[in-house]
Amino acid sequence: MKTTTILIQNTDTKHPDDSATQDFYQQFIDLLTQSSLDFPIEVIRSKDIGLYDHGNVIRILPENIVYTNLKVDDIKRIISATLKQGRILTDLHYKAQIKQHRIVLRNCGKINPEDINDYLENKGYNGLIKALKGKPEDIIEELKISKLRGRGGGGFPTWQKWSFAKSQQADQKYVICNADEGDPGAYMDRSLLEGDPHSVIEGMIIAGYAIGASQGYLYVRAEYPLAIKRLQNAIQQATQQGFLGENIQGTTFCFNLEVRLGAGAFVCGEETALIASLEGKRGTPRPRPPYPSVSGLWGKPTVINNVETLANIPYIISKGGKNYAKYGTSDTTGTKVFAVTGKIANSGLVEVPMGTTLRQIVYDICGGVEHGIPIKAVQTGGPSGGVIPEDYLDTPVEFGSLQNLGSIMGSGGLIVIDQNDCVVDLAKFYLQFCVDESCGKCAPCRLGGYQMLQILEKITKAQGTTEDLEKLASISKAMSRASLCGLGQSAPNPVVSTLKYFKQEYLEHINNHSCPAGICKELLTYTIIQNACRKCGLCQKNCPADAIIGDREKGYHIVQEKCIKCGQCMEACKFDSIRRD
Amino acid sequence: MSATNTIKVGMSTCGLGAGAQEIYDYLKTEVEQKKLPITVKKVGCLGMCFAEPLVEVDVTGTPHVLYGKVDLTIAKKILNTHIRDKRLIHDHIYYSDMEAEE
Repeated sequence: MKTTTILIQNTDTKHPDDSATQDFYQQFIDLLTQSSLDFPIEVIRSKDIGLYDHGNVIRILPENIVYTNLKVDDIKRIISATLKQGRILTDLHYKAQIKQHRIVLRNCGKINPEDINDYLENKGYNGLIKALKGKPEDIIEELKISKLRGRGGGGFPTWQKWSFAKSQQADQKYVICNADEGDPGAYMDRSLLEGDPHSVIEGMIIAGYAIGASQGYLYVRAEYPLAIKRLQNAIQQATQQGFLGENIQGTTFCFNLEVRLGAGAFVCGEETALIASLEGKRGTPRPRPPYPSVSGLWGKPTVINNVETLANIPYIISKGGKNYAKYGTSDTTGTKVFAVTGKIANSGLVEVPMGTTLRQIVYDICGGVEHGIPIKAVQTGGPSGGVIPEDYLDTPVEFGSLQNLGSIMGSGGLIVIDQNDCVVDLAKFYLQFCVDESCGKCAPCRLGGYQMLQILEKITKAQGTTEDLEKLASISKAMSRASLCGLGQSAPNPVVSTLKYFKQEYLEHINNHSCPAGICKELLTYTIIQNACRKCGLCQKNCPADAIIGDREKGYHIVQEKCIKCGQCMEACKFDSIRRD
Repeated sequence: MSATNTIKVGMSTCGLGAGAQEIYDYLKTEVEQKKLPITVKKVGCLGMCFAEPLVEVDVTGTPHVLYGKVDLTIAKKILNTHIRDKRLIHDHIYYSDMEAEE
């Protein structure tokens, strides 16, 4: 006899402890035992039922009927109608919408990444086999229909890149996979390479066949040892099975792959710098044109694609470009993988069709902001991107719409910022990153970044003036216009976008010498609220700077000159008697 | 859909960082010693990095479920409660609502 399983959970994210779930579970069990059912039922408390802020939720398996916002009175109805008669109660029924759709991550978490047979059993290398039966032009045509755009952040149509490289006459051409993922908080490519290396390799072989290349390089950052190990293992297995090497699958097509390690320079994610690094030179960018598809690695036509772009290729070839273009929007087709981090309840990787809103990603898929604190903004695109404030969270995710808001889609890092984060500090962090990583070749980036950072430091130390904001804007403009490569051109973006949406917060720092979020240390003052203080002395005990004087009889005071604004007294105080202004 | 009789352990950097190696080794050894007709398989990241280590259990006679934040105690329960007694384990199921392309 078939067993019915019921998953049960209270999904209130403001009170994430298990007691509400336990209560509802007990009520459900009690009513269930009172009613006589003639088949076995198992009720299980789940930890994450896939919905958030829908009150008490049950999921009846194997039918997968979901009821939300349940009250105790509803239990009896569910037992008599659904469990006994198999009837769905429409007023409680939650019509499941598929939130995530996995094309790129189709095999991640499903197959053993260290075993090619597992990939083959899941239709692996079907795209390549199909591609080899047709002409290279057919592949490019299929990509054109799919409207696939580069997922590294640029959003350039992939078919055009391939078509340029194909049309070049050369004795040698190259395919490069850019796996030098460097944005803080982004790890989509790492997970993909670790979880499904063959899909990226298959994409590269197809690219090789399409443009007429016989050699490919995977440029992976050395900080990803597991990804490198699994890639090398996958290359070896693919060679043994005849998907790499000479006469692939009995055709005249030959293609070899090598893994090359990046030494941790952010700028090497820029394609011309990456190519220089592969050639054994110092990793600095050069002006374009010529673009790599005309003159790339060792001066030969080179297609350089991001990891995620390449993982899309086998799917597009085996299912057809038309099927791929069904997902997403008219601006951007397909899906996008995001690494959602920061102040988020459930951080992780999500893959959603383009056009899904930022709010859906943050609240419906990832369970909202950690500890239920109000959201301030989301940051997309890493140091090259910007912030998108709460008012614009209903924006659909696609290349164009995010650009219009002054941010970029980037490679897929999405960092959630709550009310306790300071945007000036955030802008300073990203700028510092770009200053550290600037290669120094061109002056706008080398000098502009440094100047802007100096100004931001001034602002966070209560030495800023309103003229500084104008200076920031004009240096930003100069940098974005005159820098040689994407790093310098986009480095001011975090400053520009925070100034656009959170100017008031900058002015608070400048005019009132205060940091509303309580982050910029030099603007903070800690004081003991004397009438709330219970004179327990915990603050004094925890102060690492001996800045708190007094004793249990006279009470305590903070000596401002000695205070290092670490906030440990405030954390230690059990009576909320310490104020931060 | 019939069950594949597999236990999958998420073994990407996120899983390994949360202690998946220990869980995988334990399940693999136990399954082999007890000669259970089940394959223990290492897989990549499912995306729910916040709940690692993740263990997906798909065996005949019980629903296909995903357990998160699995430690050795839960791993033991997966073998004894879920697989042997065919009862699911409270407070550790993470329901993943995603559609993957074939």
